[in-house]
Formats: sequence, structure tokens, C-alpha cells
Amino acid sequence: MIALFPSRRTQAPPPPPIEVLPEPGAFVEAVVADTGREPQALIPILQAVQRRFRYLPPEALHRVAELTRSSPADIMGVATFYSQFRTTPVGRHMVSVCHGTACHVKGSMLIDDALRRHLRLGAGDDTDQAREFTLQKVACVGCCTLAPVIQIDGVTYGNLKPETAPKALRDFLETAGRAEDAGLAPIADGRQAGEIRITIDSCCIAGGALEVHDALVQAARQSRAPVAVKPVTCGGMCHQIPLVEVAAGPREPATYAKVTPQEAEQIVRRHFPGSGLGARVRARVAGVMDRLVEAGAGDVLQRHALDVRDKPVCAFLGPQRRIATEQTGSQDPMSLDEYRAAGGYEGLRRALADMTPEGIVDTMTRSGLRGRGGAGFPTGVKWGKVRQTKAATKYVVVNGDEGDPGAFMDRMLLESFPYRVLEGLTIAARAVGAEEGYLYIRAEYPHAVTRIREAIRRCETAGLLGDDIMGSGSRLSLTVMEGAGAFVCGEETALIASIEGRRGMPTLRPPYPAESGLWGMPTLINNVETYAMVPWIVRNGWAAFATLGTEKSRGTKVFALAGKVRRGGLIEVPMGVTIRQVVDEIGGGVSDGGVFKAVQMGGPSGGCIPASMADTPVDYDALQAAGAIMGSGGMVVLDDRTCMVDIARYFLEFTQHESCGKCTFCRLGTRRMLDILERLCRGEGRKGDIEKLEELSGMVKAGSICGLGQTAPNPVLSTLRYFRDEYEAHVQGRCPAGVCRPLVHYTINQKCIGCTKCAQDCPVDAIAVEPFDVHAIDDALCTRCDACRRVCPVDAVDLSTGREKSHAAH
Amino acid sequence: MPHIEIDGRAVPFAEGQTILEAARAVGVDIPTLCHLPGRPPHASCLLCIVRVGASPRMLPSCATQAVDGMLVTNDAADVRDARRTAIELILSDHLGDCLGPCQGVCPAHMDIPDMMRHVSAGRFAQAIVTVKETIALPAILGRICPEICEKGCRRSSSDGALAVCKTKRFVADRDLATGAPYMPELPPDSGRTVAIVGAGPAGCAAAYYLRRRGHACTIYDDHEKPGGMMRYAIPRDILPEAVLDAEIGVILGMGAAFQGGVVLGRDASVDDLLTRHGAVLLAAGDASQVNSSALEGLKRGTQGLQVDRHTMMTSRQGVFGAGGVLIATRHAVRSVADGRAAAESIHQYLGGSPAHAPDKAYSVHIGKLDSEQMVPYLQLGSKRGRSVPAGGAEQGFSETEARAEAARCLHCDCRKASSCQLRTVAHEYGASQQRFKGDRREFRVDLSHPAVVFEPGKCIACGICVRIAAEGRDKLGMGFSGRGFDVRAAVPFDGMLGDGLQETALACADACPTGALARATGSAL
Repeated sequence: MIALFPSRRTQAPPPPPIEVLPEPGAFVEAVVADTGREPQALIPILQAVQRRFRYLPPEALHRVAELTRSSPADIMGVATFYSQFRTTPVGRHMVSVCHGTACHVKGSMLIDDALRRHLRLGAGDDTDQAREFTLQKVACVGCCTLAPVIQIDGVTYGNLKPETAPKALRDFLETAGRAEDAGLAPIADGRQAGEIRITIDSCCIAGGALEVHDALVQAARQSRAPVAVKPVTCGGMCHQIPLVEVAAGPREPATYAKVTPQEAEQIVRRHFPGSGLGARVRARVAGVMDRLVEAGAGDVLQRHALDVRDKPVCAFLGPQRRIATEQTGSQDPMSLDEYRAAGGYEGLRRALADMTPEGIVDTMTRSGLRGRGGAGFPTGVKWGKVRQTKAATKYVVVNGDEGDPGAFMDRMLLESFPYRVLEGLTIAARAVGAEEGYLYIRAEYPHAVTRIREAIRRCETAGLLGDDIMGSGSRLSLTVMEGAGAFVCGEETALIASIEGRRGMPTLRPPYPAESGLWGMPTLINNVETYAMVPWIVRNGWAAFATLGTEKSRGTKVFALAGKVRRGGLIEVPMGVTIRQVVDEIGGGVSDGGVFKAVQMGGPSGGCIPASMADTPVDYDALQAAGAIMGSGGMVVLDDRTCMVDIARYFLEFTQHESCGKCTFCRLGTRRMLDILERLCRGEGRKGDIEKLEELSGMVKAGSICGLGQTAPNPVLSTLRYFRDEYEAHVQGRCPAGVCRPLVHYTINQKCIGCTKCAQDCPVDAIAVEPFDVHAIDDALCTRCDACRRVCPVDAVDLSTGREKSHAAH
Repeated sequence: MPHIEIDGRAVPFAEGQTILEAARAVGVDIPTLCHLPGRPPHASCLLCIVRVGASPRMLPSCATQAVDGMLVTNDAADVRDARRTAIELILSDHLGDCLGPCQGVCPAHMDIPDMMRHVSAGRFAQAIVTVKETIALPAILGRICPEICEKGCRRSSSDGALAVCKTKRFVADRDLATGAPYMPELPPDSGRTVAIVGAGPAGCAAAYYLRRRGHACTIYDDHEKPGGMMRYAIPRDILPEAVLDAEIGVILGMGAAFQGGVVLGRDASVDDLLTRHGAVLLAAGDASQVNSSALEGLKRGTQGLQVDRHTMMTSRQGVFGAGGVLIATRHAVRSVADGRAAAESIHQYLGGSPAHAPDKAYSVHIGKLDSEQMVPYLQLGSKRGRSVPAGGAEQGFSETEARAEAARCLHCDCRKASSCQLRTVAHEYGASQQRFKGDRREFRVDLSHPAVVFEPGKCIACGICVRIAAEGRDKLGMGFSGRGFDVRAAVPFDGMLGDGLQETALACADACPTGALARATGSAL
């Protein structure tokens, strides 16, 4: 059980003070003996080497070339293609600063700056003098609701501010060495009076769920109450984590939000009073509860009161319809029994016993399910194509390379509902006639990989995978393949190349993988969420699914709601609800008093839909018509403090970095588009830049060979379509939103009372401490972190948004 | 047999053929840089894109299977625009000079690096051929030229420019000294004649190149002897008469006629000349010194005769101008260049096509390199400083001195200038290197291989060498390094080219569509 929930401690074993590393060549020999010498073993071999040495030592690479069938060119190609691999030594700990969309709009650059200052990194450096920490930018760690986020080795720190970010480094050094304790084992002695449920997904862990879990276990033990502490599936209420639900006796379960370890102990004692409980403590618990419930800001919730007392949370749950995320928040994600008890594997049973493969395909076709990875290709048609293609061997593949910054539903589904994904995959394999399958899961999701591996093992033991599935004689063997850090591998032909052990470079389709995929064989590739929809559809029939949603977009869709929204999290809604419903009713509107400006949908392939079009329904065609795409379901809310040119620049930087580099339009076209956008954001725009940007966008879209390039201009085109005035302002040297740093200047006006608060909060000492004098900001030192403006008690800090420093009030 | 339609033309194809293969089989031209016939497509350069049906997308024809009835658009404005954009994007990240900067600065655009390679290797007979390709009077100019080209030399900012002018003079003197100076092979007589008024540098040069085109020509001059200002304005100690006679003698030896003592406007008029000749070239020097009635009817500007900048033709059909008659203060080297341009234009005119001067050679440019960036660059030439003739300026370079000086050349021109496919398509599509200008890559050159030079800055990531090397048995070979914008062909494990390519090296160099991999040439190596 412990291994299933790798805590920060198990996941990131701190290196001993003097690290004894094996000789690289010998290490490689052992790994190759274990992994194999075929081309598809190359990426796993390099991953093993890097796990051990934290980079790829040249001796190791030479040895890999000698021992495997991969050539030196193959090895260099792979080692330099995937961003996970490093060819130079690094510090003892990797600090990954998340630059996902949500983190970006919430100031990840300032976090990056603060860490660089703290570690005294010069320009171009990434490792501090003591070689303790190496700083790297990462695309998205999928903890968008905690933005901005950093990950130190496996430990995630969220909701950071420039001033608190350095504390995370200290905290890591202080706590990482803490010894592994019995921590996560639930108490289950057969005489349970109740259950304490806590969600422990990656983002919950980042929010402190492990500490709360530990405290709950500790408290439960001390109280000697017959209660189990149980990790459960993600409820999607990411804005309320750590979320604890207590089910005791016949009463309605009580839900507590944003629980701290200290409160955890008190919660246990309240619901399960043990022999050692004193009156004094009891009173204190009651006090805490009263305070929190009365505060009414959703800090502590009780489910029985939800519908009457806390409308916003009710709304968060209310309009949702859960299919892929069915049974949310109540099951142990790793309990096969619980999954089956709630109808799990009923779909597969039917598919094996009652349905022909053609019948399954037909069910999918009639359900109207379209691919949830982004493009929305009809699932039944794809399955039918693979079914019809004659071949000795066919494959099924799960595309879990969820790369869109701002999207994390696949991670959640794999972590919380591994059996559902596996069941869907097994049904698919039966439908198309495949007996081998791969799950390609992105490198940044270690928890998902661990859980899915364990789930596969348990399914094999239970006869739900393997040589004789449910006694039907059907076979399916599955392999988990970890990605190595390449967004483009979400593109199916690149994903195939990656599984085969090559650089993830897409090829022109046709031929489609359905005809010629993995090793030239017919291959079915679907996204995680698509597979997660399948068991429900088979169990409940296509008609039940088809009644949900809109005419051309049936069923439900899972979204990751994040950004400048009050209640972020994972939601599942019927297709056709409007963006406004999602943002206002589910998300509770824009956070921190901002004004709703737009929603970014579809990540780097999508676009921004302005607030004025918030009544656009969430449906493949309507979103496309509006210039965005459904994408994998990232929905990042943007407010008036978001610069749309900066957003476009942000996404182009992303696609440009993630381009495989094969075709001219993508490799060079996106770079030249980025050049122009960077110029605009520096206030160095030239006349004609906007037109050149438009022209290049058209060329890149028309000429690129894969989806990455074809959609890369969308963030630019959609912002140009709805926010052209902001581009024009940038050409003139103004950033109306006050975001683009070279165009933003902070000054202090005469209202200043000389309190020195700003000077004390300034992270770079750009304000001299001169009590009772009107303060002044050194513009050259200022990093535009906004700390002074936030702390000023008399509104004396002005923000100007033009090229030249001015004293005009904002 | 199934057919596709390319621009309305039915093109048959065999099962499994791509659009590109089908097109090439019937001679339809589709450009491509990354295609390696007979191998699976790489679809990287995207120059071969075509429109299929009415789709807004454009597809690489090298990777798109032909399907019966497919409607392909190859020759259309939007397809050409997209191709030009692809070329311009590639050029925006292509670090190199097609032609040496010196060559661009030289008014006659002489192929200086090529001359230097020949001189450095002692191939003097070939050196004079290179020189005379653009400069008809090199021994003369070698004594009177203001050395403009040397300002363009990359070494001028570090340890002194190459002594181009003196090297050229050495080549020409040496040629004359053989007693049988280089005389280009002449084509059969065209039957057309040209009147050249003025036997100065412009007129003599024009006669040289007109003869090379097979046209008869007569040079008229008011002096008794040919040479114009070269003979009558320049002191003999600078330009000895023997040199003048010998070099002009070559031109007369090629069949150009000379008639001295003929004054335009007195002894002959433009009208007369036009009735007796197919074309007239006015190369009589400073227009203000020419009898004004002689130039009647021809448009004049403040400095001299007005001619079309591209055709060198005056306002009168069939009458051309060159040299000082256009701008009185023209350097002799400019006049020599004018003479050649006018000759080429007249050649076109006589052939019945619209007159036009020789095409300007297409070249991309690295631009200025700072001292740090010059460090890797300087390894392309010998380390010694600029040579001075030991025997004094009048003597010029000895053979040893000339060869030593030529060895200093950095060969900034591209080794593949004449075979680079990127340059060819860039020229054909009128692509601009500047349109998508971005940050410049760092210059690197790998000279570790005995027969092949590797310049990663010129790599366009087409993967041709990677594919060829993969089929060979070289231990390291060649592979792709990096991702996205940084993708380049590279020798694995940070190896040098000499470690990576052995048996496939020359095949890779020959197949490389740019100068990234090229056979080592000349003395630099």
C-alpha cells in the first residue's frame, strides 16, 4: 500500500552526504540485461541511467551503443530530443519551476526570478555554487489550481509568491531528510466504526495532503478508535484541498476543506472520541469548528449543510455530470473490489459475453463519442477502421502524454480511476482485435505511472488482463511506457515513434495508425479520457450517452478549470453548457476582484474566447468557430490583469520549444513568430509586425505537417481576432494590462507617508529605506513584482504601462 | 493506369508513387531540398508543398501518395508564396556567405577566393582564367586599381586584408610573361558587328567580352593608339607601356579591330555607326569632353549620359554606354565592369531578346563578425600577416610571396556556391534573407576530416547525411541533435566530423543540398 502512494519521502530519497555512484558502464550492463537491447528499450535504459546519475554520463552512452542495437546516432538523437534527458551534471536537487498557463498568468516568471536571486544564479547559470539546486523551467506539472507551483525533485510546492518561493527550498532541505514512517498505512482492524477519506492525488500532495494524512493516521491510532484512514479518488474540488471526509455511523458524512495537520487531529477526536480524550481538548475542537463554519467562506464544509448553507460549493458540484469521473471522492482508487462493487468491469463482462466486436464498435459509433484528446475524431469510426484492417498483430495504445499546459485531467483519471481506463482499454482491444497494448504516460506524472502499473498487476492477478480475461479466452497484455518530456509525442505518429524508441518526430498522415501504426501494424490510439468514457457507455448503452450533450458533441467532457478563477479544479460537464456557466456557476467567477476578460481553451493549439462570447457552448464545433478548440480540456480563466499579447507570446514560446524541429514552417516559422511577439512585449515592435505575424500564422497553419504546427498559430490568431487593440498598443510601446515588464514602470507618488513598508518588502532593494521621506523606486533594479503596490497602505505606488517611465497614475 | 492532374495536366502514376515521383517522371518541376530519391520521405524542407483539391492545407508532395483523380496545384501564386516563405525561413537561419564579401565589394565582382585558391596551390594558368572571367585588363588594373575589394576582406578587421590587387597583378604578369597569354576559346562568328567608341578601360573590356560572344567589333578612338586614359593620363612609371600594349594586344589578338584618329562628331556620327553596325557602345570617357553634337538626341544627366541601370542602353535603341561617359570620375575598375556588363547586354540585344546585363549573382551574407566570432573563422587561412613585395611596389609579388599571401585567404565564399540547391531555389523564387531575420548562429567550422568540411551554421536539418550515414558502416556516423529550432545534423557524442564519417563522407558531402557538408577545396585545407 505504501508503495502505491509514494509520498514526498519515498519518491525523492535524499542522496546521502557522500554519494557512492556505480561505474556508469557497469550500471548500463545491468540495465541492458534487464531491459533488453532492442530499439524500444533505448528510452527506458536512458531513463534508468538518468535516475541513477541525474544526467547521462558520456561513458554510459558509449556503453549503451556497444551493448544495444541502437546506433550512436540513435542514442544521441533520443538523448537530445527529450527534455527529460540531461547531458551535463546537475546539482543534488532539481527545482522545476512550472511555467504552465495557470502558473504563467499567476506570475511564474517572478517566482523564477526570486529563486534565481536566492540561489545567486548568473545569467545562463542553472546551478548554485554549492551545487545543491539546479533550476529548470518545465512546461506544466499539472497542478494548475495551486499555481504558481514549483517541484523540487518529486515534492510540489504551490500557491507561491516571490517572497515565499525561497522558503520552499529551505523547507525541502529541512524535511526531505525526514525518515520514512508508517505514514500511509490505513488502520483496518476489522472493527471499523467509520472511515476518514482523504484525496491524495499529485496536486493534493502539493497542497499538503500527505501531512494531513499522516496526522489523521496518528490521531486515529492515538484515539484507538476503530476507524480507517482511506485515500480516495479525486473529487475535483482542487480549490478546497486538502479535503477530508468523515463517514461515521448512520449520519451523513462530514466534509472538511483546507484541513491543516493540526486540525486533522481535532477532527478525528471529534468524530471518534477515544478513551484518552479530555474535556479540554474537546472544547477546543468545538471552538475550531464553530469558528470555521461561521466564517462561511468555505473553509470547512459539512456535506449535510451544503445545499442550504453554501451555495457556491453546491454549484461547483451541481451542474456537473460524472461519467469519466464517476464515483468521485468515495473510492479507494486502488481498490479493485470497490471499483467492481460500483459497477466496474460490468461493461467488460458484457463486451466479452454479450457483444460481438462489431457490436462494440457499433455501440461506440452510435454513442456519438468523439476523441477527447482534442481533435474530436469520432471514436467509433476509428475503432471500426482498426477492426477492419487485416493484420496478424494489432495494438491498442493509451495516449497519456497530456502535454497542454493548463490541462491535468488525464493525470487525475490515471491516478484516481486507473481501473476505469484499463477497463475501457480492454473493451477497445476486444473490439478491434488487439492482444497487446501500451500506455504512454508523460514523464511528469510519476504517481500516475506507479498507480497504473500496480492496477495492471492487480488486474492480471484477478483475471481481468492476461491470457484468459474473465474466462472468455480473450487476451491482452499491457506495457507502460513513460514519456521522456516531449509535448509533440501527444501527436499519434510521434507517440508511435517514441514507443519504438526513436525521436518523437511526426510523419505525414495518411497512412493513419489505424492502418499502419506501431511497427507498421494497425494501431488504435485513444486519449485517456476517451477510454475512461467507454465502460459507462457499454454498461448503460449508447443511447444513455447520446442523450447527453449537443447534437454533434455527445456526452460529457472533463475540464481542468484554473487561472484567475475562485474555484479551480476538475469538473465534468455535459457538452453544451456555456463557458459562462462554467466560469461563473461552477468556478464562482473571477478571483481576487479581477474582471473576467477571456478563457483560454485548448492550450497551445487553442485560442482565447473573450468574455463577450462567454455564452458560447462547450462543443467541438462552436469552440472551433470561435477560434479556439476543445483540446484536451484545459480551461484557463484570464482577467483584466492578463496581457493577451503576452499570452500569445507565452504559447508560441511553448510550441516553439516543443516543436520537433522537422518541418520548416514549424521549426523556423514559430520561431520567427515568437521573435515578433517578443519584440512587441519588449516595446520594440515595428510597423508591419502585426501583418507579418498574420501572414506567418497563415503559412505555418497551412504548411506544417502535423497538428502541433498546424494549430500553433491559433493562440496568436484568436487574440488578434478579439484583442487586436492590445497588439496595436504594444506596437506603440504600451501594455494596457500592465504585464509586459519592459513596458511597465512603478513609481511612488506624493501620497507616500514614508512608512518603509514597500522598501522592506522589495525583494531586490530597489527602494531605499528612508523613513518619513517620500520613497523612490530604482527602475533599473525593479523586477515589477508588484510587492510594493500590494503592501502600500496609502495607495502611493503607481503603475504606468507605457514605454517611457512616467508618473501618471494608473 | 491511374492519373493525377497537376495544374490541369494528366499525369499517370504507378501504385505507391508519391505526387513528387509522379511529377518528376513526366518532367514537372517541383523544388525540394530534403528528398533523397529511392528512400522514404523525410518531409522536412517543405519546398515541395502543393495544394491538393481545395484544401486550405498544403501538402509535401514528397510524402503524399498519389491517388487516382487527385487534383494537384503546383504552379500557382499561393503555392509559390508558401515556397518562397519556406525558403526565406530557411535562409533566416542559414549562416553563410554564398560569395565572399570581397567579391561583393569588388566593382567587377571578381571571384577573388577562387583566384586565391589557384594561386595558393600554384595553379597559375587556372588563376588567370578565373580573373579574366570578369576582369579583361588585370595586369593594368593590378597597377592602378584603388583596391576597393580589400575593404570587404574579413581579415581587414584583424590582421590586415588580403593583398588582392597585388595577387591579381601577379597572376596577370605571370600570364603575360609566359609569352603565350591566356586567350579564351572563341565561338564561331555571329555575323553581327558592334561599334565601340573609345579604347579606354570600358571600351577594351567590352571588346574582350563581345569577342568572347563571337561578335565582331571595331574600337574607334581619337588617339592613335588604344588605351585611352590608361595610356594618356597615367604616368608610365606606374603603368609601363609594355604592360599596356601586351594586355590590350590580347584583345586585338582575339580579333577586335582598332581604328585610331577617329573623332566622334567629326569623323563619324552615332547615326553612321548604327547603319554600319548592329549596336553602338559609347565608351569615350568624360561626356563633357565629347563633342556635344555627337551625343545629340541622347538623354543626359548632371554627370554624363543617362543609361538604363540594368541594360546599359541609352535613350536611343541600340546605343549603349559604359565607363566615364556615364560618370566622369569612374575608376578604371568600374569602367572595366561596365564594359563587361554592356557587352553582355549588347549580346542579348543582338540576339533579339531584350537587352539585360548579366544576372546579379545571388548571395546571402553573414555580415560583420566581431573579434570573438573571428577566432574560429581565422583558422580557415594561414596565420601570417599581410605580405609586402620584397622587391618594392613596382616589382610586385614574387611567386613565393603571391602564394603565401593567397594562403591567407579565409575562403569566405561557400564551397558549394555553384552547386548549392538552396541558393538556386532562393534565386529562382526571389527569396529575401532579410525578411525573417533573427538572431545569428555562432560560426563554427569542423576541419577535422581530411576531405570534407562541416559548417553546422549552414545545416538546414534535411536529414540527407543522417540517412546516408545510417546506411553505411561508419562507427559513429551522423545523427540529429537537439529539438525544434536547435535541430542540427551532428556527429554523435560530441565527436568531430573526422570521427563520425569515413566511408560515407564524400557521399554525404555531395548529397548535402547546402554548403554544410562540402568537399574540402583549395589551399585552406
